[in-house]
Amino acid sequence: MLNKNPYTWIGLGLLISGIFLSVAAYFIFLTTWLVAMGIAMVILAFILLVLARTVSWLSPEVSSLLLETGTENIAALVEELGIKSKAIYLPSSLTGGRPQALLPLHTNSSPLNIDQALPHRLIVKYGPNPDDTGLLVTTTGTTAVGMLETMPGPAPAEIEIALTHLFTGLLNIADGAKVSGNNDHIQVEIRNPRIENKINWHEQCFGGTLSSTAASIVAEALNKPVTISTEKHDKGKCSIELEVLY
Amino acid sequence: MRIYNTYIIIVAILLLMTTVILAATNQQSLGIYYTAYVIEALVVTELFIYFNKKARRGLGLVSIVLFSGFLIIAFLEIFNLVV
Repeated sequence: MLNKNPYTWIGLGLLISGIFLSVAAYFIFLTTWLVAMGIAMVILAFILLVLARTVSWLSPEVSSLLLETGTENIAALVEELGIKSKAIYLPSSLTGGRPQALLPLHTNSSPLNIDQALPHRLIVKYGPNPDDTGLLVTTTGTTAVGMLETMPGPAPAEIEIALTHLFTGLLNIADGAKVSGNNDHIQVEIRNPRIENKINWHEQCFGGTLSSTAASIVAEALNKPVTISTEKHDKGKCSIELEVLY
Repeated sequence: MRIYNTYIIIVAILLLMTTVILAATNQQSLGIYYTAYVIEALVVTELFIYFNKKARRGLGLVSIVLFSGFLIIAFLEIFNLVV
């Protein structure tokens, strides 16, 4: 069955008209450039038909619906518990599987020092004090990290390539990313983001979708916990500053 | 899909420009037209490194088909020269 997206229909249209044009130009009109034009249309048709097979069957509306449902549920939980602390993005080595975000339940808990992988539970204890308890949740970055073929190294240039590949090639939500920084702070600049940030409780704890995804990738690349210090949205640019915790 | 659209538009413009330029220079060899198209398509595909794995695999297949066509043309040209 044909994947009924615009690429398929345009590809088929170009394929049929390209073949007709080439044959007619070669045998009837006897014009070389017109035959070549038909061949160019056939080449474009092949490219379109191949790309049509890689486009998701899910409409953007359904994807948005699923994302919003997930975040709304977490937002309701966070709001109900009255958590005001910022999420700490942990690499997979500290969660025993895939990178996740730890949301401390108390703002006055001791500085983070996790030396072994946290258990696979929603509510986890991450330190010796009674207040060192938090929610260990899956974020968009958790899934996004799994989409990368190879994990980037700790160098800013490697993280930049990974983020650009993810945001531009895989998710198509921005035009590129620029990463700079040192051991303690990482600055990420995302060009032309096409995803809106909502100002609500969830975003204040976890950051926006782009920041959250970038933080997970950076945490995984550095193999260290990171948190979002600042997040600014200017015209066609999203600037994020990440703090590396230890 | 924005990256797909950019890629397709760039390839389409390049192919069209090549046709116009070669037609303006009164080029009568179809092999020249085809070789130029293949080179352009291969170069642009290589420049779009941020495509996902599935798209890259598919475009790799298209590149192989186009390159095979180029090899056939090259073989025929050599054959004509020798014979």
